[in-house]
Amino acid sequence: MGRYFLKRLWHGAIVIFGVTVLVFVVTRLVGDPVKVMLPLEATAEQRAAFERELGLDRPMTIQFVDFMMGLSRLDFGKSLWQHRPAMQIVFEKLPLTLELAILGIGLAFVLSIPLGILSALRPGGVSDRSTVFVSLIGLSIPQFWLGLLLIIVFAVQLKWLPTSGIDTPAHIILPTITMALPALARLVMIVRSSMIDELNQQYVKTCFAKGLPFYRVVGVHALRNAALPVVTLTGWELIRAVAGYSVVVETVFAWPGLGLTAIQAIEREDLILLQAIVFTVAILVVLINILMDVAYKIIDPRLKMG
Amino acid sequence: MKTMRQMIWIIVMMAVVVFSATSASGQEITIALGSEPTTLDPQLREDGGERAVNDNVYETLMARTPDGKLKPGLVASEPKLLDPKTWEVKLRSGIQFHNGEPFNADAVVYSVKRIIDKKFNSEQISFFFTIVDAKKVDDLTVQIITDGPDPILLSRLYWMKMVPPVYSKDPKFAETPVGTGPYKFVRWNRGQNLVLEANPGYWGEAPAIKKVTYRFVSDAGTRLAGLMAGEFDIITNLLPEFTKKVPQAIHILGLEHPIIILNADAGPTKDARVRKALNLAVDKKALAEGLFEGFAQVAQGQLLSPSFFGFNKEVGPYPYDPNQAKALLKEAGAAGASIEIIGTAGRWLKDREMVEAVAGYWEAVGLKPKVRIFEFNEYLNRLFDRKTRADAIFVVSSNELMDADKSFSAYYKAGGVGSSNSDKDLAALIDSARTETDPAKRAALYHKAVKHAYDQAYFVWLLNIEDVYGVSKRLHWPGRVDAKMLVSEMRMK
Repeated sequence: MGRYFLKRLWHGAIVIFGVTVLVFVVTRLVGDPVKVMLPLEATAEQRAAFERELGLDRPMTIQFVDFMMGLSRLDFGKSLWQHRPAMQIVFEKLPLTLELAILGIGLAFVLSIPLGILSALRPGGVSDRSTVFVSLIGLSIPQFWLGLLLIIVFAVQLKWLPTSGIDTPAHIILPTITMALPALARLVMIVRSSMIDELNQQYVKTCFAKGLPFYRVVGVHALRNAALPVVTLTGWELIRAVAGYSVVVETVFAWPGLGLTAIQAIEREDLILLQAIVFTVAILVVLINILMDVAYKIIDPRLKMG
Repeated sequence: MKTMRQMIWIIVMMAVVVFSATSASGQEITIALGSEPTTLDPQLREDGGERAVNDNVYETLMARTPDGKLKPGLVASEPKLLDPKTWEVKLRSGIQFHNGEPFNADAVVYSVKRIIDKKFNSEQISFFFTIVDAKKVDDLTVQIITDGPDPILLSRLYWMKMVPPVYSKDPKFAETPVGTGPYKFVRWNRGQNLVLEANPGYWGEAPAIKKVTYRFVSDAGTRLAGLMAGEFDIITNLLPEFTKKVPQAIHILGLEHPIIILNADAGPTKDARVRKALNLAVDKKALAEGLFEGFAQVAQGQLLSPSFFGFNKEVGPYPYDPNQAKALLKEAGAAGASIEIIGTAGRWLKDREMVEAVAGYWEAVGLKPKVRIFEFNEYLNRLFDRKTRADAIFVVSSNELMDADKSFSAYYKAGGVGSSNSDKDLAALIDSARTETDPAKRAALYHKAVKHAYDQAYFVWLLNIEDVYGVSKRLHWPGRVDAKMLVSEMRMK
C-alpha cells in the first residue's frame, strides 16, 4: 500500500512537471504579451523597453532555466497583468474555486444516490422515467445557459437571490446549483444503472430470502457493490469542476475564483499567472486521483494496489 | 421536522439577503465594471478599472466639460505659455488631500517628476513623454518644461493625476489611495467590491451621491442581469441589442473609430480611384443601424470625433453610391480585383461583423474580397508589419487625448505603426502641427491634413461608436464624451 502510493506520487510529479513545461513552451510560442498589453499606437521603442522589463527578450533557454529555478521555490514570478506574485493570486483565488467545486459536486453526489436508487428499484416506473427525463435535460443544457437561466428566474424575476458576487452566503446558492446539476444528471444515471445490475444479482435474492430488512439489502449490500463506478465518476466530476466547469460558472456569476482568473489571464496573455494556475490545477488533479484510489480501497478491500 | 427547520432557515437567509440588497439608501449607488483595478496607484498602470475608480478620488490640473472642452481643474486659471517650451500654471489655493497634506506647488512638481521618472516605469508614459521637468516658482505657481513646443500639453495634463508627496511614498499607497477629489477611499475587498464615499472637505461643489460601491463583473450578460435585478445603477459596455430591455440606456459619442487602412503603396488599392470606390461601396449608415442598433454615427471622413482638436467640419462621409464605385473601378481597370481584408474577432465590439459586412459591400460592386480573420496576436503581427502591408486592414482607433496628433501619427503619417502610405506631404503637415503652438494655425494644419487624406481616400472611414451604459431608473447621469464615469456629475431623480 505504502509503496503503491509512493509510486503514484512519483507518477503524479512527472505529470505535473510535464504539464508545466508544456505550458511554458506553448504560451511562449503562441503568445506575445508585449503586443497585447501595450496600446496599439505604442512605438517600437516603447515595445522594446517593455519586453526588456518583462525579461522576454532573453533567449528561451535562459528563461527556462530561470523558470525552473523559480519553480523549485514555488515562485513563478510576478503576474504581468496584476504585478503581484502569481502564487499570491492563486492562493487568494483557490479557496473560492474549491469551495464552489466541493459544494457543487458534493451536492450532486449526495442527491444522486437516493434518486438513482429510487429509479433502480422500479426501472420503467413513473419515478424512474421522470428521473431519466430530467437527467437527460440536465445533460443537454449548456452550463453557462443554465447559469443565466437561474439568474433570470431567481434573481431578476423573483428577486430571491443575488445575481452575482460573493458578498453573503446566499451568493453561493445559484453557482452551486449550476455546478451541481450537470454532474448530478450524470451521477444519477450511473447510480441507477449500477444499482439495477446489482439488484439483479443472486446474492441480493439470497439476502432477501434470509429475511434481511429491505434498507440493509439495498442501502448496504447492493449499494456498496454498486459504489465503485459512482466514486470513479464523482472524482472525475470533481476534477472537471476544478479544471473546467469553474471557468464557466465563475464567469457567469462573477465568482472571483481560479477559473475566472484563468480566463482573464488568457485574455491578457499573462503567461506567468497562467503557468501558476495550470501548475496548481495539475497538482489538484493528481491529488484527487490519489484520493479516489484511497476511496476504492476503503470500499473494496479486495482490490490489489499496485 | 429537521428538514422543515432547515427550509425555514434558508428562507430567512434569503429574505435577509433580499432585504440587504434593496435597503441601500437613496444616495448610495453601485457601479458594475468589467474589470477590477490591478492597483490603485493612479500614475502607474494603463488600466481601465483603476481609472474608473481613481477618476473620482484624484484630480488633474486641467479638466474637461462633459462635452469635452478643456477647462481649469486644480489650476486657478488657464495655463500660460511663457516660451515655446515652458508652461506656467497657477494653482487654486486652500486645497488639501484627503489625509490633510496640502495641495501646492511641491505636490505638483512631485507628481510630474514621479510619473516621468524612468525608474518609476509608468505605463502611462505615452501620454507624458514630452515633459522633461517641473519647477516650483512660488507656493502656488509651477513651470512645466517640455522637450520642444508641445501644443497638446493641456490635454496631457488632463491625464496626470496629482498625488500627495509624502503619503505616496508609503507602500500602502497602491491599495488605499489619497487624492484631492470629491470622493475618498473607504475599502477594497479584492475580487469583491470597492467602496468610496463623498469627501466632506471637498473644495468644489459637494457631490449629490454620498457613497459609491464598485463591483467587478466581466460577463456582459451577468452585468445586465444585475442591472435588471436592481443591484446595479450603472453597467458599462452595454451591448446595443440589450438597449431596449434596460430601464435607461445612456449613449454618447465616444472615442472609438473603426476604420479600414488601405494600402496606398502597392496592390489594387495603390490607385486612388480604387480607394475611393471602396469608400463609396460601403453603406455606413446601414452598418450603424444594422450592427449597432443606431448606437454609432457615420464617421465624418476623418479619424476624429467632432469633439477632437483638429476636426474638420468641411469634410463629411463619402456617400453610399455603388454605381459610382463600379464606374471608378472600371475606369481604374480594377473591376473584379481581389482584395485581402484583415481583421480580428472579439477584441472590439462587432469587429468581425463589420469586416464581413464591408466585404459584402465590396463584393456587391464586383470585387473579390478575401476576408481573413486572425486571432488577436497574429492580427497584430499583420497590423504592425512594416514590410508587407495587406491591401486592407481593419482597426479600431481610440484617442483619449482628443487631439488629432495621436491617431494621425499612428495611422495617417507615413511610417506610423499602422500606416499604409508613403505620402510625404501629409507627413509634413502632421509633423508641423505637432510643434505649432498657435492653436488656430495648428487647427488649420490638421484641417488640411484631414482634407488631403480624404481626397486620397487613404482609409475607409466607417463609424464613430457611441459608448452605451445601462442605467437604473432612479439615477440621472448625462454621460461624458471622454468615457469617464464621474460620480460627482450623477444624481438621484
